[in-house]
Amino acid sequence: MGRATNSSSSSIDSSSHPTVSSASSFPRLKRDLSTDLSLGLSISTSDHHYCPSTPREQQSDWPPIKTLLRKALAGEGNKCNDATFFVKVYMEGIPIGRKLDLFALDGYHALIRTLDHMFSTTILWAEVDGVLHSEKCHVLTYEDKEGDWMMVGDVPWELFLTTVKRLKITRVDKY
Amino acid sequence: MNYFPDEVLEHVFDFLTSHRDRNAVSLVCKSWFKVEKWSRHRVFVGNCYAISPERLIARFPRVRALTLKGKPHFADFNLVPHDWGGFVYPWIEAMAKSNIGLEELRLKRMVVSNEGLELLARSFVNFKSLVLISCEGFTTDGLAAVAANCRFLRELDLQENEVEDRKGQWLSCFPDSCTSLVSLNFACLKGEVNLTALERLVARCPNLKSLRLNRAVPLDALQRILMLAPQLEDLGTGSYVHDPDTETYNKLISTFQKCRSIRSMSGFLEVSPLCLPAIYPICSNLTSLNLSYAPGIHGDELIKLIHHCRKLQRLWILDCIGDKGLGVVASTCKELQELRVFPSDPFGVGNAAVTEKGLVAISFGCPKLHSLLYFCQQVTNAALITVAKNCPNFTRFRLCILDATKADPVTMQPLDEGFGAIVQSCKDLRRLSLSGLLTDRVFLYIGMYAEQLEMLSIAFAGDSDKGMLYVLNGCKKLRKLEIRDSPFGNEALLTDVGKYETMRSLWMSSCEVTLGGCKVLAEKMPRINVEIINEYDQMEFGFDDRQKVDKMFLYRTLVGPRKDAPHFVWTL
Repeated sequence: MGRATNSSSSSIDSSSHPTVSSASSFPRLKRDLSTDLSLGLSISTSDHHYCPSTPREQQSDWPPIKTLLRKALAGEGNKCNDATFFVKVYMEGIPIGRKLDLFALDGYHALIRTLDHMFSTTILWAEVDGVLHSEKCHVLTYEDKEGDWMMVGDVPWELFLTTVKRLKITRVDKY
Repeated sequence: MNYFPDEVLEHVFDFLTSHRDRNAVSLVCKSWFKVEKWSRHRVFVGNCYAISPERLIARFPRVRALTLKGKPHFADFNLVPHDWGGFVYPWIEAMAKSNIGLEELRLKRMVVSNEGLELLARSFVNFKSLVLISCEGFTTDGLAAVAANCRFLRELDLQENEVEDRKGQWLSCFPDSCTSLVSLNFACLKGEVNLTALERLVARCPNLKSLRLNRAVPLDALQRILMLAPQLEDLGTGSYVHDPDTETYNKLISTFQKCRSIRSMSGFLEVSPLCLPAIYPICSNLTSLNLSYAPGIHGDELIKLIHHCRKLQRLWILDCIGDKGLGVVASTCKELQELRVFPSDPFGVGNAAVTEKGLVAISFGCPKLHSLLYFCQQVTNAALITVAKNCPNFTRFRLCILDATKADPVTMQPLDEGFGAIVQSCKDLRRLSLSGLLTDRVFLYIGMYAEQLEMLSIAFAGDSDKGMLYVLNGCKKLRKLEIRDSPFGNEALLTDVGKYETMRSLWMSSCEVTLGGCKVLAEKMPRINVEIINEYDQMEFGFDDRQKVDKMFLYRTLVGPRKDAPHFVWTL
């Protein structure tokens, strides 16, 4: 008999080979987007609305805690968990990249400050107006889920966190 | 046995408080049955569909305190559709019609309507106590009816209910003549309350011992309320947010020093951690502390708090306390009897902050521990064996590994031996929940050793029908069995159908049981309701007996299939 490793509400397919895995198989709910779940954002890729708790999350049946408790914990924004979200950061011209935990930052200003410090340069992003100097400045861009390179800072921070895959600091003249 | 007049028998029976004792007494002879029947005031109905209101009233015409339970336990975790059932209205209506002198009503997992609450409030003149646990279906308008009409109300206790808040003035509906409140718990309400009305209510109820506020009650109001009720024994704070450098906070500090009777605390739904030191003087007297709804208190602050709580017997906490924090609990709380550790990040993929290390530390430090609910990242067999040796007195042991089929991370073995050690050592174990990688072997152990087991919860466990059969054959006192996502099928279900009349209920979801199997069972056992809950695939309902059943709930009953089942519930 196969072991049930799938979503709790699907029937077990009796034709599948018996699998007794000793590796952990976390019960898959209807989706597996831990980032989205931690942030309580809606799931569909075409829907970019910020929505603190979707109906589907409230349908969650694992782990077995009461709905009221689940809502209370989601609402607090996970202040006491250890979730991390490391992305790669490359500076143009330097082959060795760095890694940065975006969950440890509380917004764009913290991000820029951290990167300024990490790479010893001045970083320009969407909020910075004015003249783009050469050489001394760099522009911060990110690769989003669709593979496009965008300037950092145009969308709300929480939304940025759901679409960013990695960061690149490019030289101004190339930009 | 007719030597004693009925009054004497009745007086003797008064000393019997447990339902089981009174049930046993009614079986002795007709005369005892009669006396017991007419003197029974407290009745417990574990499944509201096992009996009808009319038959209950006929059996116990003098009932004054009724406990009713509705939905199956897994409804707490969204496994049961909302409109499955468990309506209390027919019970209230029947009792009102029969002029029952109802004084206390305790409901768990039932659907309560405003109409029901209004009828309750109007019909029972001496009504004293309403306790609603995990119920739904009513709004604050229903509460207003209770407040306004129950002149001798002593207790209004709302625990973890889903209540639609009409932002009305339900608290103001307690008349000025209401001075009898002993217990008021509205922590689960989300809306604003009239703070002035609340303070006046507290001021005129000198017997108020238990008060649990909701999020809408700010810290300054808390301070004023405590000044009015220094006799409180159980306090649930609302919002505990303030700037500590203020007059208000200083007043709170001195107010707490006057509250020498507080033994139980909960709440902290929102917290300014810098304000926590105000409660340190109270901590040394606390026997019960529930911080499971306080994710705003971080690990370090929790640990500082725990250092002051030497007398704790019951602790409910979030896992952000960490293994280290549990070590502090183990060395500080020597009187601990009940511990619950909830996951602070239920959406994280296995990010629980506690492991088996915390549990082992607790088992060494807290010899009186007998009740446990523990959500964790991982567990080893060695740890469970140690815990079993240190704490042979467990009556309730519920372990939930967030990654539901995780093996022992050290040996990569299933956790059969660990749980086996628990059931073998804890001879009084009445309730058990399993998780982690488990084979049929663990069920062999449970069947062999868990002689007192009454309730068993299984998820993602076992290999074959043998597992379930070990349990059904071995656990003679089993009353409730709930299983999800495990490979148990028709053979396990049908081997001993008579067993289900000795149990309250069986839940099986996402298992291997088929429609045909359920039909056979229903056919053989007319006094069991076999319900198939099928939210999807309405069209294919009942056409193919080989079809696996998504959710099945069966329970013994004296009154046949229920008439209030919704369209997606099919009683076979």
